[in-house]
Amino acid sequence: MIAFLRFEIVRTLRNVRFIVMLIAFPVLLYLIYGKQHGVSQGLTVASLLLVSMAVWSGMGSAMFASGPQLARERQNGWMRQLRVSPISTRGWFAAKLVQAILLIIPGLVVLVALALTYGHVHMAAGRLGLLVGVLILGAVPFCAAGLVIGLMFDGQTAQVAQMITLLVLAFLGGIFIQWNSLPHAMQLIGKVLPSYHLAQLGWNAAAGRGIGLEHVAVLAAWTVGLGLIAARLWRSESSAA
Amino acid sequence: MNTQPSSAGPAVVFRDVVKVYNGRVTALDHASFEIARGETVALLGPNGAGKSTAIDTMLGLRTPASGEVRVLGLAPSAAASAGKIGGMVQTGGLPEGAKVSELIGLFRQLYRGKRSQADLLRLAGLTEIADRRVEQLSGGQTQRVRFALALAGRPELLFLDEPTAALDVEARRAFWQSVRAIAEQGTTVLFATHYLEEADANATRIIVVSHGRVLADGTPADIKAYTSVRTIRFTMPEPDPSVLLKLPGVMDVAANGEVVTVRSGDSDATLPALYALGRPVRGLEVGGGGLEEALLALTSDDDSNHPSIKAG
Repeated sequence: MIAFLRFEIVRTLRNVRFIVMLIAFPVLLYLIYGKQHGVSQGLTVASLLLVSMAVWSGMGSAMFASGPQLARERQNGWMRQLRVSPISTRGWFAAKLVQAILLIIPGLVVLVALALTYGHVHMAAGRLGLLVGVLILGAVPFCAAGLVIGLMFDGQTAQVAQMITLLVLAFLGGIFIQWNSLPHAMQLIGKVLPSYHLAQLGWNAAAGRGIGLEHVAVLAAWTVGLGLIAARLWRSESSAA
Repeated sequence: MNTQPSSAGPAVVFRDVVKVYNGRVTALDHASFEIARGETVALLGPNGAGKSTAIDTMLGLRTPASGEVRVLGLAPSAAASAGKIGGMVQTGGLPEGAKVSELIGLFRQLYRGKRSQADLLRLAGLTEIADRRVEQLSGGQTQRVRFALALAGRPELLFLDEPTAALDVEARRAFWQSVRAIAEQGTTVLFATHYLEEADANATRIIVVSHGRVLADGTPADIKAYTSVRTIRFTMPEPDPSVLLKLPGVMDVAANGEVVTVRSGDSDATLPALYALGRPVRGLEVGGGGLEEALLALTSDDDSNHPSIKAG
């Protein structure tokens, strides 16, 4: 699994443009809005937006770590070639998970650095550490979502499915617009989505409140659910087509 | 580890295997064969015959609807997990962004380094392009990389699905040279092809497949002997088809002026009888008997529920 993980990281790192593009959008938004004044949910805009953008960037990175690329590589036959080798299913899943988590880190580092300097966010080291930990671990269900999309759709379709999923997660989860200002029905949908709960966790951590175990529970449930779906899709690949 | 049980027995047991796609297309229709260790076997048949499905099933990439598939005494997926088999699947693309050397390095590690990097590069003819990224490779080079990946674990059993499809003549010769070298080291090789000459030249045994069934199974000579149909051409003044049709072995006669074409199932009997007619026979040519004719003959009448032939 270590060999496979290293291989995957090396080839991802070679694609610098891909990593830059993953980070560019949330960073740009932070640069545009991060200087606004005001307080909401007990947080300054600069802190609030750090969490929103970190969630957005983390979701995107985690899902793009596999998603469309996995779909393409299932289509071009690389996954078949790989499955003939002694790599274990468990090892493959573990490596993909770690790879996705690692891909979150550059965006997170850049956003935190921006917040501390450009945004003048002041946060105690302990609180910042908790926030970073929450944002990284909280991205795990999105890693699983990327795997599901990559295993379910074909190349082109996966790209579209991924973008739609991300936008729905961001808007209904209250990351781009305040969740309170959504129509009621959408609020109800949003409240089920993992993005909503990750953002809540992040804001709670940043504000120094109790993080809210119900959010952790929902994210854990999403991880298990999506993980089971991914495992099922992986297994059915050999018997179906 | 006790390797005794797996190194006895046949390399492949493929018994009464059925595979149906989407509930409609029957890719394998009660196909059966067995492959002994050390053999080099060709699965020969037209496109859509079920060759790739059979190979994918033996590699554990597909699960049959019914029937028994054992590879080196194990279930296919167990044989793959144990690193005992190597395979070049038909549409085996490569991952974006990787270099040739990294890919081969990865497979060496997955197979626990049973063959050295230098050996693999040399066997597949990749030494010069080891530092290239896979996006920069030609179709033939990609295919050679996949060959190297299949060899990485020094497999006991090697599956090659249409391995030379994108190779030019020179690369093809080098490829088969490597395969022969590997077979001589004791590796069992099973390859699928619709290149007839390729099966003839490189296999010790040919299994002819069509419509998901095994039509014939034997040495290249056996296969050719089964359909010993020869085309005999000659010129003869005023040929009489009805006389010619009565010669031993003759199946049909076509006369076009003085040019006569006779198809015979036993040319050794036809020819002496033809000369015994006492008429002038000139420009005699005997054609056919190649694997191509054999394959055509075998696969053309299998709609009539042809019984399988076991030659040899």
